[in-house]
Amino acid sequence: MSSCGNPAVEEQALMPRRSKFGKSKDCVRCRLKPGNIVIRHAVYCKECFTPIVELKFRKALEPSVNARAGTSKRPKLKASGNLCLGFSGGLGSSILLDMVHNTYFSNQPPLDDSGKPRGGINHPRNASVWPSCIVCYVEVCGAFPGMQDKTEDIRTIVEQYPSFDFVPLRIEDAFDESWWTKVSGSNSTPQVWLELSKEGLITDGLHVASKVTGLTPVEAIRLYLSSLPTQTAISSALQNLTRVLILHTAHSGGSSHLLFGSSLTSLSISLLSAISQGGGYAIREELQEEWAPVATSGSKPSNVLRVIRPLRDVTAKECAVYAWWNNVSVIGRDKQRRAILGIAALTKNFVVGLEKDYPSTVSTIARTCEKLEPKDAPSGQCRLCKRPMQSAIQEWKGRISIRSYSDDKLAADLAHIPLPCRSNLDTSTPSQVPPLLALTDFLCYSCHTTLTSRSSRGVKQTAPGISSVTPLPIWVGDRGLHGDGLMGGGARRKIPEQEMLDTVANFLIDKQDDEE
Amino acid sequence: MAPTSCSLCRDAKAILKRPKTGQQICKDCFFFVFETEVHHTITESELFKPGDRVAIGASGGKDSTVLAYVMKTLNERYNYGLDLFLLSIDEGITGYRDDSLETVKRNQQQYDMPLKILSYDELYGWTMDAIVEQIGKKNNCTFCGVFRRQALDRGAASLNVDHIVTGHNADDIAETVLMNIMRGDIARLGRCTLICTQGEDTIKRSKPFKYAYEKEIVMYAYFKKLDYFSTECIYSPDAYRGHARTFLKDLEAARPSAIIDIIHSGEAFEVKEEIKAAQKAQQTCKRCGYMSSNDLCKACTLLEGLERGMASSVITDRARKKMDAIGPAPDNIRTIPLFRSTPTIAVELPSQS
Repeated sequence: MSSCGNPAVEEQALMPRRSKFGKSKDCVRCRLKPGNIVIRHAVYCKECFTPIVELKFRKALEPSVNARAGTSKRPKLKASGNLCLGFSGGLGSSILLDMVHNTYFSNQPPLDDSGKPRGGINHPRNASVWPSCIVCYVEVCGAFPGMQDKTEDIRTIVEQYPSFDFVPLRIEDAFDESWWTKVSGSNSTPQVWLELSKEGLITDGLHVASKVTGLTPVEAIRLYLSSLPTQTAISSALQNLTRVLILHTAHSGGSSHLLFGSSLTSLSISLLSAISQGGGYAIREELQEEWAPVATSGSKPSNVLRVIRPLRDVTAKECAVYAWWNNVSVIGRDKQRRAILGIAALTKNFVVGLEKDYPSTVSTIARTCEKLEPKDAPSGQCRLCKRPMQSAIQEWKGRISIRSYSDDKLAADLAHIPLPCRSNLDTSTPSQVPPLLALTDFLCYSCHTTLTSRSSRGVKQTAPGISSVTPLPIWVGDRGLHGDGLMGGGARRKIPEQEMLDTVANFLIDKQDDEE
Repeated sequence: MAPTSCSLCRDAKAILKRPKTGQQICKDCFFFVFETEVHHTITESELFKPGDRVAIGASGGKDSTVLAYVMKTLNERYNYGLDLFLLSIDEGITGYRDDSLETVKRNQQQYDMPLKILSYDELYGWTMDAIVEQIGKKNNCTFCGVFRRQALDRGAASLNVDHIVTGHNADDIAETVLMNIMRGDIARLGRCTLICTQGEDTIKRSKPFKYAYEKEIVMYAYFKKLDYFSTECIYSPDAYRGHARTFLKDLEAARPSAIIDIIHSGEAFEVKEEIKAAQKAQQTCKRCGYMSSNDLCKACTLLEGLERGMASSVITDRARKKMDAIGPAPDNIRTIPLFRSTPTIAVELPSQS
């Protein structure tokens, strides 16, 4: 390669531009037509590009379709349940809708060059893999006053595919007992409430508060989001709520597979963002997982739902070109414009920026994370995000930071506290009153950090002091987890008098009569 | 507005906000919690035993200066029973390393510790200035990092120490986790969050500041009025690590716990067994005897590249094979002397009868 000379002296001293593609401008696949697009230094024509993308889609999905792997190299595809597609209106999920329809639900089998169905009409490929398909969309406008409701626009898109049933959900369903009863079959699931500090944020101890009633689901979700300490926490909470709503809807509807339209680019961003928020333990689940609600003791294990991202080998650029050349309608996702960016948005800006100088960044991130697995066996399922939970999280947090001198493990070190700081030290034995019920041991590291980790920037949207408690999503209080002691049944505790009074208050004719 | 009391002792006036926890505390409590957290990191990982000879990797920067101070303080306070040494590496960067070495020499006087300085020039025959002159400003951190690692081991072996401690802090570890994911360095990703690492033939190496925030180290040095050299390496702005560092700073601004959260993520996962099995087994370098995953260790490979005028081409394994295809190394090139770590000789005590 020639080196740079002095442009002032030599006419052709400028470094020749590095070529964007390998050897030829012709399509590397058919070698007949001139190329129309360069994907990672490979040139493709328009006609060859679409089959390439569809092949990547099928290679990512089809190995997971059958319940058992089997021995055949090309088995007949037959899923054990229905199909559910998570649809956001974005580029990836719009393409997913189109590809799933064309590949598995359209009446027309794929044709060969002569126009006949490839493999013949009776070819196993052309038989239906899933009996039916639902498309789940979660509308988030309820969480943000003034935001436009896009449900009907989304319905219009889904109706273009007559084989699909549209199942619209709302983000506030996460706080709606009637929705929970429908998907879980549980009646009267108690709502879990957490205490708030004077600043209106969830306290570090995650203390469970007395039951409060009278909030609509919309009021409940707005109160919940306003009690979160950072913009990162709000983004993460919305993501978790959306995912768990769809998981439960898919599972209760008899689906065996749930597909999301995350492209390679958005998958890499979500992996790096998850790691940055302490979600390294569940990195496998971020890629692909087999999920089931935790079964109540004595009941049959639930059917497993396979959560797959079949566009995980397709970059955002390929998705955009596919949508353009195949006339796929894309509504787009509503992006919140905020002055303070959370970790998810920062990660997206960073990865997209780095990809310009280092083009293999997104694929490297995804490939690297595919080689990782959690170190220890899980100690249960996080109540909030429904993902596997690592053990001894609070012990780890307590080990690396000293937040209070009353911690037992500091007993040996207290002698070294400087003299000026010893006068108000409380070294008395802990009170005999049992500690308040806390959610701490029932959450994964990432969810605990979401609820408690603060920033100096702050994100408080409503005035502090309006409410002293905040609700949590309805599934947190699911009685199916009563064995671990959060909501009675398992652990016994003395009920304080005030809590008894709260329960019977509506039935007391006159409080004074009772006291007399 | 009334002054805020310290969140810990509830007595003195709070004069700083801890970057790690956000608590508002007084100066004395800050010194106490900072030092005690490092002490807990050391004891819970069982890093040392009484009688150990420990070399502190000292660059004259804030991390190693504070590390030397804190190690001396904790050694006396908790009777670790350690013999502490300062070990410094002169990479030969004019205007940067010569100034920071003066700081290390001052540290030696202030902390009353023996000091050994080892230079790239005496060990390899090349300074970083000469290397950068040959290869430019891309990939020079690869050379420096590889050379420094071996230099530290060689310096420690000459001091006959059992253990090397370095001032890598929480920010460094978090940056390394992010960087290894972005670059796909699965081998390093699997071990970068370990607090203590040891190869078959190399000296144990630990990071007592693994959970200490960089900002808190600076704060500690400021309030303790510790003497350190504050300029960044002049060749670092073009390094790939700079991207990870900028990203991490943005994450920290969005949520200060992000640094610890990334370290927690790194500790929570490991490389899958089938991937580990496919990785190259460790062997010994045929030229200098240091640990290596190929016939020649990376330092010998890089040095050969420099000597043959093909330094830029030996960064990757593929480039190395290309160089080998050209022909064997000439006999008259400079090579790294044979490495021998301190041999472990079992001493049998004489019987009492």
